Amino acid sequence: MMSGVVLKFLRRKAESAGPKKRGVDYGILVFENTSEVIRAENRLKAAGWSIRVKGPPPEIRTGCDLVIEFPLIEELAVLRALEKAGLRPLEVVPVTSPLLQPVDLFQVKDFGQFLMVRAANMKLTVDKETSLIVNVSGGGCPDIPYLAQEMVGRSLADAPEPRRIGHTLCGYALQLAYVEVRRRCLPS
Amino acid sequence: MTTIDARGLSCPQPVLLSLGAMKKLDKGRMEILVDTDTSKENVSRAATSQGWEVKEVLPDEEGYRIAIEKG
Repeated sequence: MMSGVVLKFLRRKAESAGPKKRGVDYGILVFENTSEVIRAENRLKAAGWSIRVKGPPPEIRTGCDLVIEFPLIEELAVLRALEKAGLRPLEVVPVTSPLLQPVDLFQVKDFGQFLMVRAANMKLTVDKETSLIVNVSGGGCPDIPYLAQEMVGRSLADAPEPRRIGHTLCGYALQLAYVEVRRRCLPS
Repeated sequence: MTTIDARGLSCPQPVLLSLGAMKKLDKGRMEILVDTDTSKENVSRAATSQGWEVKEVLPDEEGYRIAIEKG
């Protein structure tokens, strides 16, 4: 009798859990600043978790311009890993409604021969036929001219990764665009 | 001389327009009109990466005239 009540409660809870992707419940980690997001992303990816950096949903009004989406079932382990790294999110929010869905950071524009991916404030454009990087722009950070100089005219396969040669948040955003362009243009 | 007017276009369109013209012309001299510092830098960089030489960048009332050449 008692187990029937518990089962009913759990089933109701599962049904009201909100949007799922591929049958997985997601949550978002909200941090005070983007440096913490970058550190948390590195730490969690290194530990093998399937996470993504995204834009905050409209309902979240605290924290910075980036959030981390993670599988909610891993919440305790994720928080423990972050705590070990000295990171404490401002909020952990289960994605339970469309208004709590994090926003995709990427904007993709197809110009025919060319493909542009924008990640946050940075744009990376490649020639789809040759995989050559034809333009890097956006940001306004001091290392962007250097990043552009090093990357434009080189193929996606040969160009240095922005995270290796950049030093600012623009470089970080460019890295996100670079990874997305590679995913779309280079065979895996 | 070929002149490309890329004024009023947002990034990366001035670069893409210029690259299309460079490919079509193959070699010679052409002029590209842009209206922002960012477009000036991006178009100059793209031209150099394609083997074109930036001969001069002249500011005018509406931005810059970039003259490029390939032998």
